[in-house]
Amino acid sequence: MSLPRIFMTWRGIVIVTDVTITHLPAATLHALEIWSNAPAVAKRFEAATGFALPAMGRSGGSDALRLIRYEPTVWLAEGDVSGLPAILSEDGALTAIGGGIVRVRLSGQGWRSLLMEGGVFDAESLAFGPGCSAATVIDQVNLRLHVESEGCCIAFVPASFSADLMHFWKTAAETLAG
Amino acid sequence: MSGPSRSSGGESINFTFDGKALLGRTGDTLAAALLANGIGLVGRSFKYHRPRGIMTAGVEEPNALVTVGTGGRTEPNTRATDVFVYEGLIARSQNRWPSLRFDVGAVIGLFAKALPAGFYYKTFFGSARRWMFYEYFIRRAAGLGAAPVEADPDRFAQRAAFCDVLVVGAGPAGLIAALTAAEAGEQVLLVEQDRVLAPSLLRDQQELDAVWADEVATKIRALGGRILLRSTASGYWDDNLITLTQRQTEPGQEPADGLAQRLWHVRAGRVILAAGAIERPLAFAHNDRPGVMLSQAVRSYIRRFGVLPGQRVVIATNNDDAYLTARALRDAGVQVLAVLDTRPAPAGQASGFPVHNDALPLSTSGARHHLTGVSARINGTTHYWQADLLVTSGGFTPVVHLHMQAGGAALEWDAAAQAFLPGSARQNVTSIGAAASAEPIGPTPAPANPGKAFIDFQNDVTLGDVDLAWAEGYRSVEHLKRYTTLGMATDQGKLSNMAALGRLAEKQGVAIPEAGLTTFRPPYTPVTMGLLAGAKAKDGGAHVRRLALYDVHAAKNPIWQPLGYWFRPRAYPTAGETLAQAALREAKSVRTNVGMTDVSTLAKFEVSGPDAAAFLEIICATSVSKLAVGRGRYTFMLREDGMVFDDGTVWRLAENRYLLTSSTGGADRMATHISYVRQYLCPHLRVSAVNVQEHYAGIAVAGPKAKVVLTALIGEEPPRHMSTIPAMIAGIPVLVLAASYSGERAFEIYIEASRAAPVWAACEEEVIRHSGCLYGMEAMEFLRIEKGHLVVGGEIDGRLTPHDLALDRMLNKAGGFIGASGLSRPALSAPGRRQLVGLEAIEGIIPEGAMLISSKGQSPQGHITAAAFRIIEGGSIALGQLEGGFSHHGEELIATSPTRGQKARVRVVAPHFYDVAGDRYRD
Repeated sequence: MSLPRIFMTWRGIVIVTDVTITHLPAATLHALEIWSNAPAVAKRFEAATGFALPAMGRSGGSDALRLIRYEPTVWLAEGDVSGLPAILSEDGALTAIGGGIVRVRLSGQGWRSLLMEGGVFDAESLAFGPGCSAATVIDQVNLRLHVESEGCCIAFVPASFSADLMHFWKTAAETLAG
Repeated sequence: MSGPSRSSGGESINFTFDGKALLGRTGDTLAAALLANGIGLVGRSFKYHRPRGIMTAGVEEPNALVTVGTGGRTEPNTRATDVFVYEGLIARSQNRWPSLRFDVGAVIGLFAKALPAGFYYKTFFGSARRWMFYEYFIRRAAGLGAAPVEADPDRFAQRAAFCDVLVVGAGPAGLIAALTAAEAGEQVLLVEQDRVLAPSLLRDQQELDAVWADEVATKIRALGGRILLRSTASGYWDDNLITLTQRQTEPGQEPADGLAQRLWHVRAGRVILAAGAIERPLAFAHNDRPGVMLSQAVRSYIRRFGVLPGQRVVIATNNDDAYLTARALRDAGVQVLAVLDTRPAPAGQASGFPVHNDALPLSTSGARHHLTGVSARINGTTHYWQADLLVTSGGFTPVVHLHMQAGGAALEWDAAAQAFLPGSARQNVTSIGAAASAEPIGPTPAPANPGKAFIDFQNDVTLGDVDLAWAEGYRSVEHLKRYTTLGMATDQGKLSNMAALGRLAEKQGVAIPEAGLTTFRPPYTPVTMGLLAGAKAKDGGAHVRRLALYDVHAAKNPIWQPLGYWFRPRAYPTAGETLAQAALREAKSVRTNVGMTDVSTLAKFEVSGPDAAAFLEIICATSVSKLAVGRGRYTFMLREDGMVFDDGTVWRLAENRYLLTSSTGGADRMATHISYVRQYLCPHLRVSAVNVQEHYAGIAVAGPKAKVVLTALIGEEPPRHMSTIPAMIAGIPVLVLAASYSGERAFEIYIEASRAAPVWAACEEEVIRHSGCLYGMEAMEFLRIEKGHLVVGGEIDGRLTPHDLALDRMLNKAGGFIGASGLSRPALSAPGRRQLVGLEAIEGIIPEGAMLISSKGQSPQGHITAAAFRIIEGGSIALGQLEGGFSHHGEELIATSPTRGQKARVRVVAPHFYDVAGDRYRD
């Protein structure tokens, strides 16, 4: 009889054989939208932060501020955004959204396989590597993914669905162990 | 000795059939194990209750349908050829009473001539009520297995997969194709519905064997390919999406890890179909008797399972393949009495068997549900053989189902093989092997007695039924199918369609391709509903959305109310209270004192930018731009056709920043609408519209003491009605909106959801201190109905205009909003449209959902959308839609609900029962 690969507790960190699911603490998250003069804003942004605005399907940044592009004109900004209003000026806006999003870290070799359960997105593709992001659906829940490293992916999950989705992942991971 | 048998040895698996304990071998299908135990009678037919045995060895089996498992794991209509025996398997025959051998229902067969195709249509006519009477008896006389009444205890999962090449069928052709693709560096997924690779190699001795198959599989896996066994490609959809049904466990079996089946959604770059071919039966009288089997199936039972389906065998064929079966039988020591070949000499003459050319069975005879003899007419003389097995082969039908589901533009007709072959396709799909070719066959003579020559064995359709349908004027193959029910059983006509097409073409005097084809629809084999629902099969297919304050509410043990995906507290009963008592107490507290409730689920959008007001004036049908900073107003939104589809409030938080709220039930639809308007209609606007529904938790505080409570909470004067201020509660920043859904002075407090609990606690403490209470959705419903506020899905049902809802005075006179053009259509201002009205009971209690009629027997003039009681005074009231409602105030009607057996006499009034002037909103 094979043992389940995953054990998990709500709001805790659990180490398992192939996948670790970590419910991360609440973070400061904003939607950053640019509606005009995008090239100029991009230049201002890079000059101020030291990194370029990520392209579609990509993410980038530093420990202090990370941006994930999930719509053509919209980025999810995680971290310190205090400098962004000045960069955006009249060309865009920041809107706080962190209260409604739960961050979940999926780490270990099994994270790609786990994301295929109930999914519609090719998380097993090696092209979906570090620095990539995606907006997709897992078991009918809209979420955003950001590949942090080869062995780790961050999922941004709507808070209202997070308890059910964590349960879904736990159950799915046990099945994968079978 | 006669009938099916197997030399004993190796049996180790215990199972039962109709309560009888039996033994099977590892790898046996249930069909093989039953034959090995000498059991040839397995079921009763759907309509005539004719005794039926095992005809095939694959998923196309039409006869041997059984129920397996117990309790919630019960799976009816399982093909005995498609379930592998396991320890403890419980199988039962179906559609018989009191037993399989003695079935009272078989008496129906005596009246078969009186029950032809279209029998229902000719017999059971009259009123709908009469049909309900007929149905009671029909349901008991005809049928398949009974669905389980208990919930399935097992789980179902769904999974995505992507590959360069999907190969369907792991026979020799499929294995070679998969290996070739893998060696070319392509990512390969190979699926096989059997539990072993290349099952045909176990049936037919060839140069290749099972060892070769395993070696190929090892190479494919080593090259990164994936192989799934017990997996059926059940549907082929657009963009090369193929659904696979993977059995994790056998039907009725308890899974080791709780997972019964997995549905794969596979996106493939290209698809190779190597699904093989299905052998066709021959049509002659009593060709459905147990002991009549298809040729390749007999070979499978002999060579793969070691079972001898009979001892004295007659073979009837129109092709060479059946001679392989003759050799297999001879090799197994079985006597082949005769080979009846429909082809003229010298076909088969060199085989060494007693071959009769130009021959077809006339009929079969039997005793005690076993085959005892076969008769045939040869050269004008009737011959008879005492036989316990009749092997038949009417040629082969390549499996083109998936090809056609993929949008196969056409099938090509192979006249020599009398078979359709896959032609061109709109998607990147190729068919290979037996799925793309067929061997020539000889003629298939018409039987002498078509009324007893079955072609659709599951639905008891004979060639005579096809003839009758033709005689009665059914010319189209689609009409013929529906009139006779041919091809409409669980096997979807896998064995029957070609025979029916051939007969229809013969009647029409055309070739088979000209007779037409029916549509190949998914699934290829039956799929359990739980698998389609997936992991949420037990929750209606949906997740439960939890409030940010879920734990806070749960601690108070409320009555929960599902609302879309959300679960919200419906009421907070105290000891001994019913829902109605609790809700009325809570509502009275709001009317007389103060109450608080969770309104977090409301849709909320933050709209920012220099063009925010312009954007909102496109979304909202009311004016927005003149709103001062810190003020809000009621608003509603229209579809492009001018119908109201949602309502809410809009607040100006700063010079270029607004908050738009709308209904919980319409939240997802509104988010889609806003995104559509932003991205397609207004990409030029300098605006950002962000869904912040979940970012903010919301708390409503309502009642005459609400202002006092708020003052205590925020330490300053609360905003006046329809105004907003930022504030602090429990040290946490909040936004206070003075808005009322209850008809009382009220406030909505919005907080970042992850920080909502301390704010809720502070509010609750203050509310309790002022002798108030929590209230749930039931009380909220009472309050809003009495006040005459609208709810999406009730009064706003997508069919009423602003005028119908008496909202037209609020329309933005400048126009420009979505729906403005639609509203100008004359029909939307025509008299007699349904309009919003209030209703108060004169006698009785108004039933929710009731129809509104002027007198008994009249057509409905409207309906009740929501009903409640006056909270303080008592008395039944309601909101409703009524034709020309505004002009009927003061008139009396009847509100009747036949389904509930309730009615009330009502008076039409204005849809406001409480504080019409709105004085209680204001200080």
